[in-house]
Amino acid sequence: MNKGIIFCGVGGDGIITASNICALALMRASFDVKKSEVHGMSQRGGSVNAFLVFGKKVYSFLPAKGSLNYMFASEKLEALRNVDYLNPDSKLLVNDRIVPIVGANIDEVQIEENLKSYSLDLKLVNFNDVAKQHNMQKAVNTIMLGYFSKIIEIDKKYFIRAISDNLSPKLIDINIEAFEIGFNLQ
Amino acid sequence: MRKIISGNEAIAIGAYRANASFASGYPGTPSSEILEYTKTFEDIKVQWASNEKSAFEQALGSSIAGRRSFVTMKHVGLNVAADSLMSSSYTGVNAGFVVVVADDPGMHSSQNEQDTRLFAKFAQVPILEPSDAKEAMGFMQYAFSLSEEYDTPVILRSTTRVSHTQELVYFDMHKLGGTEDKLLAKNISKYVLVPKNALLRHKKLLERNTKLQKLTNETPLNRIEQGSLNVGIITSGVSYLYAKELLPEANFLKIGLSWPFPIDLAKEFTKNLEKVIVIEELEPYIEEQLKIAGINNVEGKKFFPQDGEFNLDIVEEGLVKASVLEKRHKKYFEVPKNLPERPPVLCPGCPHRPIFDILHSLKVYVTGDIGCYTLGAAPPLSSIHTTVCMGASISMGYGIAKASQNHKIVSVIGDSTFLHTGIQPLIDAYVNNVAYTVIILDNSITAMTGGQPDAVSGFNIKNEPAPKVDLENLVRSIGIKRVFKVDQYNYKKTKEIIEQEINTKELSVIIATRPCVLAPIKIKETPYFVIADKCIDCKRCLRIGCPAIGYKESKAYIIEDLCTGCALCAEVCPTLAIVKGESNE
Repeated sequence: MNKGIIFCGVGGDGIITASNICALALMRASFDVKKSEVHGMSQRGGSVNAFLVFGKKVYSFLPAKGSLNYMFASEKLEALRNVDYLNPDSKLLVNDRIVPIVGANIDEVQIEENLKSYSLDLKLVNFNDVAKQHNMQKAVNTIMLGYFSKIIEIDKKYFIRAISDNLSPKLIDINIEAFEIGFNLQ
Repeated sequence: MRKIISGNEAIAIGAYRANASFASGYPGTPSSEILEYTKTFEDIKVQWASNEKSAFEQALGSSIAGRRSFVTMKHVGLNVAADSLMSSSYTGVNAGFVVVVADDPGMHSSQNEQDTRLFAKFAQVPILEPSDAKEAMGFMQYAFSLSEEYDTPVILRSTTRVSHTQELVYFDMHKLGGTEDKLLAKNISKYVLVPKNALLRHKKLLERNTKLQKLTNETPLNRIEQGSLNVGIITSGVSYLYAKELLPEANFLKIGLSWPFPIDLAKEFTKNLEKVIVIEELEPYIEEQLKIAGINNVEGKKFFPQDGEFNLDIVEEGLVKASVLEKRHKKYFEVPKNLPERPPVLCPGCPHRPIFDILHSLKVYVTGDIGCYTLGAAPPLSSIHTTVCMGASISMGYGIAKASQNHKIVSVIGDSTFLHTGIQPLIDAYVNNVAYTVIILDNSITAMTGGQPDAVSGFNIKNEPAPKVDLENLVRSIGIKRVFKVDQYNYKKTKEIIEQEINTKELSVIIATRPCVLAPIKIKETPYFVIADKCIDCKRCLRIGCPAIGYKESKAYIIEDLCTGCALCAEVCPTLAIVKGESNE
């Protein structure tokens, strides 16, 4: 049975890179992988999502609603916007923060209540705070991936290799360190 | 090799393996990354052109010189290169020549969703439609041989989902043997399309069609897959994947070479089937071909939309409507209604923002163009009134200025778009004495598509130093007298000049010179912050539409991580409540 992940967030906050590393890790773990994303206009601070489907043999790039097992969301409102891809068995990792929208009022309390109302397996952690504590503000998503690897139950060695293969040499060490911080987070 | 690659990367690899040695194009989502990948192959001469027509003809020239060549563009780019396409169908080619066109169903980043298959039919050139990255690589490689064998340009049609989707592909980087470069073709009757020659070429083209008609019924690119149900599905591109996932037991006619359409094969396929369904994104191209040929037990658009992008849910709904699939009772959650939308916006520090803030305050009529700055139409800036296609700002501004002489008209256009198709209308405006103001937003890069260099950047696609066009000299050489350069970060001076020029009864050009904050270098200066005590809740800073400015408890605040230090908010704040430095709260 194939499994699917939705990565969602705000354009420019590194969601696509996070999904790339995850796809590489899954490939290392011997899965067939298909990933779909959209470039262009949506990168300019708009809502962004990427779908990753993995398993023995995958046909369709775009998953059906209600079919995804996991969510990796870098922002709460964007997590809520994409809940229709999830089902009662889905597991979510959401960065506990709100990115404001120009000219709109966001009711953070309401959004969080809504998100919790689905009684999903939801982990809400402020990874920006975690990053700040370790002075790693530029590796927020990698810290999050470290934590996420436990949720999707994929051995961390595959992620470490994906980071080593995919990032430029000067960024590898810091990202591996960031990944470990997330992995060891309780 | 085992690698996760996108459709765009696969197209580049396919070209490399086919011994392509020349590539040109104009950036456009979702096609832009094809040349970005191609540039990593040293044996291929690769460049960005000023527009698609220029790129197309460069590649055609290179083909006539005996080198396998290709050109890349988005769907609307083919409109610009349509003249070249229609006539190169008559000349044919020397070495293989492939036109890669990426359609954008669903308009993720486009102004329309035209279907390139209709162009292939119109120009009578073969079109290949891969479904995924693996096919894109193989089809691209094959396209060059097809082009040579049938003496025709070949279109490879991708779509957003093929171009931007990544999958695991097993492949090697071996080049094909037996495809040596040819000599420069000197053949006046073939390549000089005066009527006498063109009449003969048209006959040749019709002979070619007959041969292609035979090929399309026999090629493995168009294949029948037997299934156990008494249902047939005819489909192409990504739609094939959705259908295969939903109804794998059906019989499939998968179309890979869609013009000329394999009518005989389709007749064979549909003969003993009770029900045949056509699943195709956008236009009912396949469906019409079938119905024209008298195949009547088929339906397509009766069940599937003719607009937007398909996905599994839409294809499932269509198959349910066609009564070949039972509705699955999936449980999924409803997204709460009225969630605030998060549309794309100009980046923090974007040099276009001050211009639109000024134009908004001056209440002028603004004709816009294609690029990041199209976002100037969105609230709260709301200061672009038309955007139609590449280069249309200056020409439509011309028309409006001539027709309604009492209105103040401003045209805004980026550097790359100006060089693409903005120069000619500016010449028209000059020689016809049309009085309005053209603002060239010169950020020295093609920003919207990811920061590709253009003719004013000073470097080329391979990041090597390159000669650059001086926009001011170019504009002055037309003869235009009122030419000004402004730095948008100097808000007051910029506003003064724009105000002065819109009140001048003469054609003027203002070149706004601040570079893009993202490319080629990411700019991040010391951020600003709001002194809360000085903030009077006037919301003036919110009206510049900067994503780095938030609002809480009747006060504006600045998100330090996002602020690039452009100071526009500080410039417009009436109480000087916004200052440089880090907030010490």
